[in-house]
Amino acid sequence: MLSRVADNLYWMSRYIERAEGMARMIQVNQSLALEYADNDEQLKEFWQPVLKSICIDEVHLEEVGGRKIGKTLIFSEAYGNSIRSSIYMARENARMVRDQLSEELWLELNNIYLFFRDGGAEELYEQGSDHLLDRISRFSLVFQGLSDATIPHGEGWRFLTLGKYLERTDQTSRMLDTLNFRNKAPSRSDLMSVLRCCIALSAFRQQFRGNLSLQNVANFLLFSEDFPRSIRFCIRTIDHSLHTISGSPSGTFYNEAERLTGSALAMVNFTNLEQVMEKGLHETLDELQTNLIEIGQRVFETYVLLPSEIKSLGESDAAQLAQAQQQQ
Amino acid sequence: MNSHSQFKNYSVDHFFDEMFIDNEGENPRPHYERIFKRLDSLTESEISERRQQADTSFLEHGITFTVYGEEGGTERIFPFDPIPRVIPESEWSVIERGLRQRIIALNLFLNDIYHEGKIIKDGIIPEEIVRSSKNFRPEMIGFDPPQEVYAHICGTDLIRDDQGNYLVLEDNARCPSGASYLLENREIIKRTFPQTFGGMSVRPVEVYPDLLLRTLEHLSPRKSQKPVCVLLTPGVHNSAYFEHTFLARQMGIEIVEGKDLITIDSFVYMRTTRGLVQVDVIYRRLDDEFLDPLVFRKDSMLGVSGLMDAYLRGHVALANAVGTGVSDDKVTYAYVPEMIKYYLDEDAILQNVPTYLCWRESDRSHVLENLENLVVKAANESGGYGMLIGNQSTAKEREEFARLITSNPREYIAQPIISLSRHPTFCEEGIAGRHVDLRPFILYGEDVEIVPGGLTRVALRKGSLVVNSSQGGGSKDTWVLKDF
Repeated sequence: MLSRVADNLYWMSRYIERAEGMARMIQVNQSLALEYADNDEQLKEFWQPVLKSICIDEVHLEEVGGRKIGKTLIFSEAYGNSIRSSIYMARENARMVRDQLSEELWLELNNIYLFFRDGGAEELYEQGSDHLLDRISRFSLVFQGLSDATIPHGEGWRFLTLGKYLERTDQTSRMLDTLNFRNKAPSRSDLMSVLRCCIALSAFRQQFRGNLSLQNVANFLLFSEDFPRSIRFCIRTIDHSLHTISGSPSGTFYNEAERLTGSALAMVNFTNLEQVMEKGLHETLDELQTNLIEIGQRVFETYVLLPSEIKSLGESDAAQLAQAQQQQ
Repeated sequence: MNSHSQFKNYSVDHFFDEMFIDNEGENPRPHYERIFKRLDSLTESEISERRQQADTSFLEHGITFTVYGEEGGTERIFPFDPIPRVIPESEWSVIERGLRQRIIALNLFLNDIYHEGKIIKDGIIPEEIVRSSKNFRPEMIGFDPPQEVYAHICGTDLIRDDQGNYLVLEDNARCPSGASYLLENREIIKRTFPQTFGGMSVRPVEVYPDLLLRTLEHLSPRKSQKPVCVLLTPGVHNSAYFEHTFLARQMGIEIVEGKDLITIDSFVYMRTTRGLVQVDVIYRRLDDEFLDPLVFRKDSMLGVSGLMDAYLRGHVALANAVGTGVSDDKVTYAYVPEMIKYYLDEDAILQNVPTYLCWRESDRSHVLENLENLVVKAANESGGYGMLIGNQSTAKEREEFARLITSNPREYIAQPIISLSRHPTFCEEGIAGRHVDLRPFILYGEDVEIVPGGLTRVALRKGSLVVNSSQGGGSKDTWVLKDF
């Protein structure tokens, strides 16, 4: 498969997962905000840790104001991670690899793009933001279903999976991290909202009943064996995808992406919650996020760049190039 | 005629009408009878609904092109008119022979001017005309392209005058586009008008991608294995990007951008997740000037460094060859009938539109005196740009063109204003006559192959003679009917 095609598939998938994560994050927090705050100042205070976790600085919040933050995160063209931007980028990537996609897959993505481009999304938002956010989540889930059901599970599909799960690991870790940014110990509502952001509420209840605590939530989102958004599950999937792509036996590594993933996998496989808490939940998550960024860069170097280019560019430039690809 | 007829207000005016023989739009030509009856039985809202269906389908499937000039380029659908254009087999077979003759002559001409230049020595065409063509490539002199063919894919634009004679308006021998619309239009019409289409023995067109692939594979320098063919696109922002992905997908070959290719030791490779893969044939949808920054435009980010070197060594084939643009220069065009005579000793089956060459002094003064009655065209522009239609122009525009012609006569030609034939077309005011042309696609691989018909383009704006998509044109499905 062409290197660029692999790269486009990877990013298309990442952007769609990102749009979905963002939609749920906005939805959950807007509803939580109703409990917390009723004036603009309080709203800003409420959103600040959430925004910090997704790396938007406070200045931005000052400009937008507390009440409009949800709308900005959905529609802003200036903000590269807004839902609109993610959908546009996903579609732009898809346009470059039309030949790899089924007609059904393309139609689904192009329709949501047209929906945003032609103003349908704004109309629906005015009727109630939940309608729109639901629609976006549903789009992503349908898209995932179609990718599983309508395209060959070959190399291209592995890159889709890789993009999706790298993004998802990132999101779960960021959502969990919001609990570290509140000034006080997280409330029951805070914990519930984090679980909701990860569609983990009912799965969590099955395992822990009503026993809602920071420890249990962290334990579940970090270490669940079989919940498809837990960090352990996601990193296993990434590891498996990488090994299927390269053909190397699991437990070994052929490239840096595999080595780093293997080591992240060892961390989530052979660490327990006590150790995490001792080290600090935020510190653990922060380290994990740094790792994820590096895995993404190494995937790019391994499959998109030529060895000579990595050498001649030097490592930091290659990292920048990976970043530039992301913003394409 | 009943008062509900779709055609009750239809008027042929003084144009040649593709569907009707007489003036009032009452008597269709025999090959249009069935379509006429079918259309007449539909209500306006039924037709409108089907057209809406077609538009939605184009938009959803992303069958779009990009219009430049506006901020960042805008994606639009190429408007589709649901009333098909019909050509009887008897007419088509003449067109087919004419196109075949023409592409063979054009290729002999290209081979000649990049080698001995006999046609120049024999005084048929002046050397300075050939050499001064913007798209003459001195790099190609003495080079033998695979199979000695240069223009493998050619789109020749035909129009009909007020007597219904088919005339060649221009040849597009560089990177003609539109084949994807030809194929998609057929798909759409089958879906939106199944009853009309069924049982009409319309000659099929869906073989085009297979023929194109065969044409490409035929050029491969490596005969021992299945050739690796790729389609080279300028990228997602190109106006014809949809077509590029469409054709690549239909042929099952990779669509690549310049950055996906790399040359090593004068061979071309594509970069894949499994390493480098050698490329044999490049169907390039990128103009010569952008192909290789080492040889042509240095600022080209779209090309591949070292591609020309690999090409000239015969390590990779390009379709079309480099330098074919000299044959679709509008000045060269005027000489095609003489080329046909010179190389094939035949008379041209398809006539040219009479053409004044502004570099000839006598022609120039005639043109300058008669700007109001002529169409002036820049010799190397396409897409309907750089053009003056005399009787629709303002005095200011004519002054501007007079100045352009005087300062650079080589680059301008003029032709009488041909009243292009019209075709019933679905418009705001109901069904009305609109001007059309026809672009058949000619493939020259092992043999010359032409899919029946071509892309009919229609000028949707009332009275407009410009059919280009960038200028408000639309398209129609084109049917060649076997039994007429």
